[in-house]
Amino acid sequence: MHSRRGAHSGPAGAGVSAAPDKPRTGSLLHFADELDRQRPATEAPTGAELHLVTFALDREEFGLPIAQVREVIRVGEITRVPQARPHVRGVTNLRGRVLAVVEIRTRLGLTVATTTPRSRIIVVGVHDRTLGILVDAVSQVVKVPADTVVPPPEEVLSPGTDYISGVARWNSRLIVLLDLEKVLSLQD
Amino acid sequence: MAADENAFSELIQDYIVECLPLAEQVGDAFVALERRWKEGDPGDNTLAALAGPLHTVKGNSAMMGIAPAQTVAHALEDICALLTAEPRLRGDEGAALLVSGSGMLIDLVRRAAGGAQPEAAAEFAEQARAFITSAQTGAAASESAGESTERRAGDRRITSRREEAASEPGSVVRVDFRRLDALLEVLGEGMIEQSAVIELYRRLARKVGPSDEVADLDRALLALQKTIKRMEGILMETRLLPASSVFNRFPRLVRDLAHAAKKPVRLVTSGGATPLDKAILDRLGEPLIHLLTNAVVHGIESPEERARAGKPAEATLDLRATSESGRVVIRLSDDGRGLDDASILAKAEALGLEVRASDPEQLRALIFLPGFSTVKEVSSLAGRGVGLDVVATSIRELGGTIEVSSRPGQGVSFTLSLPLTLAILRSLIVEVDRERYAVPLSHVTATVRTEPDTMHQINQKGVALWRGDLIHVADAGELLGTGAPPNGSRRFYVVIGTGARRRGILVDRLIGHQDIVVKSLDPTVGRPEVVSGTTILGDGKVACILDVVRILDQRVPV
Repeated sequence: MHSRRGAHSGPAGAGVSAAPDKPRTGSLLHFADELDRQRPATEAPTGAELHLVTFALDREEFGLPIAQVREVIRVGEITRVPQARPHVRGVTNLRGRVLAVVEIRTRLGLTVATTTPRSRIIVVGVHDRTLGILVDAVSQVVKVPADTVVPPPEEVLSPGTDYISGVARWNSRLIVLLDLEKVLSLQD
Repeated sequence: MAADENAFSELIQDYIVECLPLAEQVGDAFVALERRWKEGDPGDNTLAALAGPLHTVKGNSAMMGIAPAQTVAHALEDICALLTAEPRLRGDEGAALLVSGSGMLIDLVRRAAGGAQPEAAAEFAEQARAFITSAQTGAAASESAGESTERRAGDRRITSRREEAASEPGSVVRVDFRRLDALLEVLGEGMIEQSAVIELYRRLARKVGPSDEVADLDRALLALQKTIKRMEGILMETRLLPASSVFNRFPRLVRDLAHAAKKPVRLVTSGGATPLDKAILDRLGEPLIHLLTNAVVHGIESPEERARAGKPAEATLDLRATSESGRVVIRLSDDGRGLDDASILAKAEALGLEVRASDPEQLRALIFLPGFSTVKEVSSLAGRGVGLDVVATSIRELGGTIEVSSRPGQGVSFTLSLPLTLAILRSLIVEVDRERYAVPLSHVTATVRTEPDTMHQINQKGVALWRGDLIHVADAGELLGTGAPPNGSRRFYVVIGTGARRRGILVDRLIGHQDIVVKSLDPTVGRPEVVSGTTILGDGKVACILDVVRILDQRVPV
């Protein structure tokens, strides 16, 4: 998966305006291609890029590597599981499979919010497991030059926030990069 | 209110649809048997095959509170059990009882919605008891080796017939088991879709009212239901393997263990032909090896000790599998020294557990707790720090139960009760605080409507008088932590039980019976004590399956 995308968005930016060799299935990847096409040529990156799915929680923007995102779905009915671990909202039906849904807000230290029509579940694959992450809204899919990523100022970190792998400064936005494995380790 | 009444009458309809064919099947078989026995042909294992349907009728009758049908089915079961074990008794008297009882049962099931007279049922139960008592006193005199060899010969006959069937050349194909799993998965999806269609049909029927089309649709759906049920039956049978496929590994294991422990031990296995789902068999080897190892290393005394106790030098381990009413029971007995109750008590006290020494069953159940080992010397064979709790956990994960009984100086016996299959679970769907949950029917004893003057409190815990016994009735909302304050308005309670243990759970609504496809719980969610898995219901929503065994195990009530 990774290599295929790598070829498409090569360092020279050759693929930016070219149509993808194969029509991609899955709305999210398709969306990513659309973005590629719309992007002005002046923005063509010169170095390595991070391909991110971003979502907003309160006033912070977070990013996940797209390689770990399988799809983004609307929030259907979520069934609460008695005695589940903290930060687990419940389980939901993903086309006949039972998907665990993680409450990312409380995991990241925010308060629980009610789901709205804009809420989405980001379906991610970590190792061989597939999980859902409940977010307030998915903003977009972006490509960020890797050299814009800096470590977060130490003063804003607190114990147990090692899931922040860095901060991308891009077009006057700050995107907090999440280390999914650490986010989902769910050790409490 | 009206919705509840509707739900209840739907449940009664479900009951009749499921049980009437079973009762009729049993009745037909009894009539055929009566003829055969008159002709002096006591053979055949038809009787054993009827235990399943009878048990289903009994269980469902109990659940629906149709006591007369339950009584009659129970009495029939008792007679069948006796006649299965004692072919000599298969004659006119027994056959007449079976035929009349099954006739009564069919009638009771058919009229489940309208009242039936309990007197006739009680009278029949009395007749059955009298027949069994007189048969047993008569048998006691003549009971000897003859009977048991006869039974063993019977076992062997069944085994060889099965093996013949399995090895008939040209009619056997080898199939990767994963394909059977895939097939089951697809069937499971079909079942979910089927229940979605049935759900829609019910809503539609309520909306448009009775009409020819609705009636036709009803019939068509019933036919579809039956077909899918049959498909499920055949597929399940395809997945079954004889217990011997696991047992076969054991003679050598026991021989090696016995050799290393310098104790002569003989392993006797029986019931190897008993079928079990391969998925269960695959996970049964480890726990059984553990129990066998324990028996050889700890249970069986040294030859000198046995000689002092007047026992034969060679110890006997008896491993048998039997099918009992839709479950498989595996029993491992040794003739060793038995459990050391005093050590268990001492250990329990050391761990700060409150136990009544006067209740040996409660005491012995403690050996399944983590960190509970009374073994003093650690040997290279057993006592590797893996206790019986691991065995108990793996059996529970298979949806089974494990019990121990022990007689000092005479040996220990472990009884494992396992479902035939893991994948599909017949369940009662209930609603609690607007969420639905599945309760495996195998552990549902009854569903009861709460009446204000039957619910009481002791020490702030709910209790109810149920069939003459006081049972603890917990609020499902509290048990499941739904967060809704208990408001005392739940209209039903479900009585769950294993062995002699019973507990009630208060729920809001009974939705109905359903075959559910079990989907395991993602470990990310955690390891909830009260939930054993999940399933997808007809409307696409996920529901949790309650872990009845562990709920019953909780010593401290919620």
